[in-house]
Amino acid sequence: MTVGPVTSPTETQPAEETPAVPGTVIEGRSLGRIAWTRLKRDRVALAGGITVFLLILVAILAPLINKAFGHPVNEYHQDKIDPNLGGIPPVGTWGGISSDFLLGVQPVTGRDLFSQVIYGAQTSLLIAFAATLLAVAIGIVVGVSAGFFGGWLDSLFSRFMDLILAFPLILFAIALISVLPPTRAFRTAVMIVVIGGFSWPYIGRIVRGQTLSLREREFVESARSIGASNFRIIFKELLPNLAAPILVYSTLIIPTNILFEAALSFLGVGVPPPTPSWGRLLSDAVQFYEYDPMYMFVPGMAIFITVLAFNLFGDGLRDALDPKANR
Amino acid sequence: MKFRTGLVLGTTVALTLGMSACGDGGSGKDETTSKVSAEFNAATKGIVNPSDKKGGTLRFGYSSDPDSLDPTRIYYASGQNFMRSFYNRTLLTPDSKPGEDGLKLVPDMAEAMPEISADKLTYTFKLKDGIKFEDGTAVTSKDVKYAIERTFAQDVLSGGPTYLIDQLDQGQNYPGPYKDTDPDKLGLKSVQTPDDKTVVFKLAKPFADFLYLLPMAPGAVPRAKDTGAKYTEHPISTGPYMFETVDPGKKITMVRNPNWDRNTDPVRKALPDRVEVTLQMQPDELDKQLLDGSLDLDFAQTGVQQAGQAKILLDKNLKKNADEPVTGFIRYFTISTKVAPFDNIHCRRAVQYAADKVALQTARGGADAGGDIATNMLPPNIAGHDPNLDPFGSKQGKPQIDKAKQELAACGKPNGFETKIAVRNKGKEPKTAEALQQALAQVGIKATIDQSDASLYFRSTIGSPDNVHKKGYGIMTAGWGADFPTGTGFLQVLVDGRLIQPSGNNNYAELNDPEINGLIDQATAESDPAKAAELWKQINAKVMDTATQLPFVYDKALNYRNPRLTNVYVYSYFGEWDFGSLGVSDGK
Amino acid sequence: MAPADGRPMDVTNYILRRVLTSAVLMIIISMVTFGVFFMVPKLAGTNPAELYVGKQATPADVAATARKLGLDQPVTVQYARFAKGLVAGRDFDDGPNKTHCDAPCFGYSFRNDRPVWPLLLDRLPVTISLAIGAAIIWLIGGVLAGVISALRRGGALDRTVMVLALAGVSLPIYFTGLLAQLVFVHTLHWLPGGEYVNFADDPAGWAGKLFLGWVTLALLYAATYARLTRAQMLETVGEDYIRTARAKGLRERTVIAKHAMRSVLTPIVTIFGLDIGSLLGGAILTESVFGLPGIGRLSIDAVNTKDLPVVLGVTLFGALFIVLANFIVDLLYAVIDPRVRLG
Repeated sequence: MTVGPVTSPTETQPAEETPAVPGTVIEGRSLGRIAWTRLKRDRVALAGGITVFLLILVAILAPLINKAFGHPVNEYHQDKIDPNLGGIPPVGTWGGISSDFLLGVQPVTGRDLFSQVIYGAQTSLLIAFAATLLAVAIGIVVGVSAGFFGGWLDSLFSRFMDLILAFPLILFAIALISVLPPTRAFRTAVMIVVIGGFSWPYIGRIVRGQTLSLREREFVESARSIGASNFRIIFKELLPNLAAPILVYSTLIIPTNILFEAALSFLGVGVPPPTPSWGRLLSDAVQFYEYDPMYMFVPGMAIFITVLAFNLFGDGLRDALDPKANR
Repeated sequence: MKFRTGLVLGTTVALTLGMSACGDGGSGKDETTSKVSAEFNAATKGIVNPSDKKGGTLRFGYSSDPDSLDPTRIYYASGQNFMRSFYNRTLLTPDSKPGEDGLKLVPDMAEAMPEISADKLTYTFKLKDGIKFEDGTAVTSKDVKYAIERTFAQDVLSGGPTYLIDQLDQGQNYPGPYKDTDPDKLGLKSVQTPDDKTVVFKLAKPFADFLYLLPMAPGAVPRAKDTGAKYTEHPISTGPYMFETVDPGKKITMVRNPNWDRNTDPVRKALPDRVEVTLQMQPDELDKQLLDGSLDLDFAQTGVQQAGQAKILLDKNLKKNADEPVTGFIRYFTISTKVAPFDNIHCRRAVQYAADKVALQTARGGADAGGDIATNMLPPNIAGHDPNLDPFGSKQGKPQIDKAKQELAACGKPNGFETKIAVRNKGKEPKTAEALQQALAQVGIKATIDQSDASLYFRSTIGSPDNVHKKGYGIMTAGWGADFPTGTGFLQVLVDGRLIQPSGNNNYAELNDPEINGLIDQATAESDPAKAAELWKQINAKVMDTATQLPFVYDKALNYRNPRLTNVYVYSYFGEWDFGSLGVSDGK
Repeated sequence: MAPADGRPMDVTNYILRRVLTSAVLMIIISMVTFGVFFMVPKLAGTNPAELYVGKQATPADVAATARKLGLDQPVTVQYARFAKGLVAGRDFDDGPNKTHCDAPCFGYSFRNDRPVWPLLLDRLPVTISLAIGAAIIWLIGGVLAGVISALRRGGALDRTVMVLALAGVSLPIYFTGLLAQLVFVHTLHWLPGGEYVNFADDPAGWAGKLFLGWVTLALLYAATYARLTRAQMLETVGEDYIRTARAKGLRERTVIAKHAMRSVLTPIVTIFGLDIGSLLGGAILTESVFGLPGIGRLSIDAVNTKDLPVVLGVTLFGALFIVLANFIVDLLYAVIDPRVRLG
């Protein structure tokens, strides 16, 4: 599937075996401080982090920002387009950009593209974050149980993760989504479940690998020797030590999920209109791009900048938490 | 209703079909046979490049793949145009003439128009001499009957028009020839073949438009060569061309049929030596090859893409080779009479006044490629069309907020209400639903759009009244083109209260008005076309008064013709160029 | 997964086990896919037979069609028939006669009544052309960039390459693809648009049509490979045997080319196999954007027209490539890297 290479983009370990990342088992607080010091020095990552923060802010404050700089998100401005040329903004106006319409207008409807893009951020981030949360939740449960209990449970879960990764996922996703009812709330939920449901094995494998190595460590052994229950060991000893890698890989899976959401919307199985979505704007732009390239460029750049920011930040975060990588 | 294929990337289309006359108004009527020079819309007014020069290859491009080449299974207008022009002769066929003459049926395989009994129940046809299949065997009445019987085998040969079943089954429950117990597989009782040259149809009750059902169906199929579901791989031709190769997804090529006799066929010019269709082309690539002359015409005839549209309309040298015929298709919303608050006519009228028809027209592609604003339910190509019928004053295109609010008050909902708009997720339709949603919001009507799967939309989404009630669809997006060019063929199924079906229903509003039903009975029994047209005009006005139908565009399609094409004219019956008259001037 | 106790397990045994696992995996995938595609419409309240018949079909027609297609049977029976078709072929009723659909029989398209399997084979060359061309570019470009980056670790070049690599994975292909076409096809006219042509018919036209697809697809993957190569390289150059090689006075180039590269390539081969496997199942987005009539385009068309047998066929076909690639990679891995545990 061309949503991306089989490996999650920044996962640089061979898929079969994921050894524990050394250094992540240092005690929590000092690690956090060290990491923060490192992160502060990494300007690229910091820029990514700030962008991510701003994007989240834009998504949350979309109604306010739109009030100040945009127009009601679904308001038509038929005077801004030329209906006889298929509804594109007049040729030579850069997609209808003006001081009133900061990013131009959407062909056919004349809607403010600026408003579409910032509300599109809401759609995109909401689905990507929710799907990531779901993926992390399943990934932790499956990964920890597989790694901690081992044996047949490990075999079963590992095969199961293989199974999911063997599905042609985009195809399977569009085929599945397209047979289900396309109402807005339902579609959003289905997209979250599908995207999360296909991306958790990446987290699952990492967590399993980490757990495998952690459970042989002394502090786990000693906890076991004083008679701590499995429950206690998992929650008091394992999970706090898994926090760092989980945080890193969650950050790195978000951009993949953003691309996945946009791809599904591009292929026509995203959230239904009029809910703004970057992927759908791009697929709509396909028919206009020769005469109105701005309409393609604006949502395309929105996706690119968002994904890049998450990737830069996640990458920097990993470097900061993992002293070995890149140093 | 005829269908149009959709297309790749979910971008566009789901257009036209049906038939249409020359443009709007009678600009072309008086000059129907006259030569016109190449200019914008020339072929909607007369014949462009008349010529009898033979030879060369006629090259079609198609962004899709015909679902089937089996004449029993073809429903798309362009597919019907193609089969009629090249390989499927029928008892009668619409005449090959521009303008209104192209709506008239003339004998094709039949020697003459049929003898119709006084009670209008028996139609007797005699076959011409010298009509043969491509292998040289003569076409007999048995082959004609067998072809009609195949339509009944819907479990094997689905997808085509089924009007003949409605008229000819008459309670027999005929299962089609494959399950026929008759040794000759000729068990359908309502069609009789007293000798090899005679075909007799017996109807149960008079149906004035019966003859129009014949050109839609296969003309003759030889039983010995019938391969059922596989017949599409090589349909046996009776026309001027026969299939040379059929390479699904890639190419169809046809060569001259040596057993076709020009003297038996007054309607087909058969000028080119070969016909080729390149399949599954990218839509934009198809346009590009049309504009640079590598192709002659688009098989689908649904109009060029957005980029092509801009290119053509911005360049006058290209524009003079383009036509935008009225396709005979109407785009409309239908407002339920059964879903509250639309059971109150004032709430329906509020929607009529609130709609922004210019925005709706733009969503369909604008005045040029989308079509003219529609104000009533009979398009210009149907006899009985009345351009002045506009009960809601919508010709000017803009919403009338005050009137809408008055109606809302009269309906007891001065602050508006909530409702649902049903639409299929295909082509430009979601955009039209959005445009209506936006306009309704201006008067306080909060509509949510419920998009559903295109393949089942007309069958079980809005085609099932139970489902409409259950989902609460107050407003439903629809499109319609006549299967045959009369008021009966266009309007009856949309508004006849007695034709409401549990699935595949076309009267989405569930309009059941005794007065309208009574007028319909008069119109369908009326054998004088002029009187029937007058009745349909009245019916149309009554329907508009119920405010259940909100038409917004009479469809047009912007198509580009290669300058080398000869005898190009818009064939009213299909709202497309007559494929069968085309030739190429350079003989290549 | 338990490591063999010191003794390497019999290789034949290992291969047999992998064959078996792959087969079981395929069977499970086929069951799940079949179940999803035939059961979900039912849950959503639609009868798959309604997708086959025309709009005007009566309930009796729908029932007759369901009977003819076997859709009235329990899903287990339907699956058994489907599976039998895959392995041994099956008969279909086409009206006057029965047609035998040879194994592997994926059934007939709902839309045009043509067998699905030849349809897949027909589209395969396009997808293979796209995947292989792109793969060559990204392998060479990605590995080279990774090696250079690793050798100049921490320098400006390294930083630049790595940021570019991140930018590469962040670009959605349906954006870069359109942008590239706008610039190189529509504006500069350096490359032809046009329909896909077979390599055998017109090699130059074939390459011209595929070129932008190769490059944009390669951009996406090269980034991953560059990062992977770099990380692996950094790890390797720190290892003892490389130090030994250096200590022996071998030239740096020789050390890198002869010694380090071998261990760098091991994980690359793994990932490469899996990527190629999944690409061959259909590069849906790339094929859509560039208008290439491959498996991916077939699948999206089939989904749009609700052609369930084709959707099912393409999904299984795609899964088959991934499972096969997994299998081959595991075997190669065992051959290349003797340290691998045959477990």
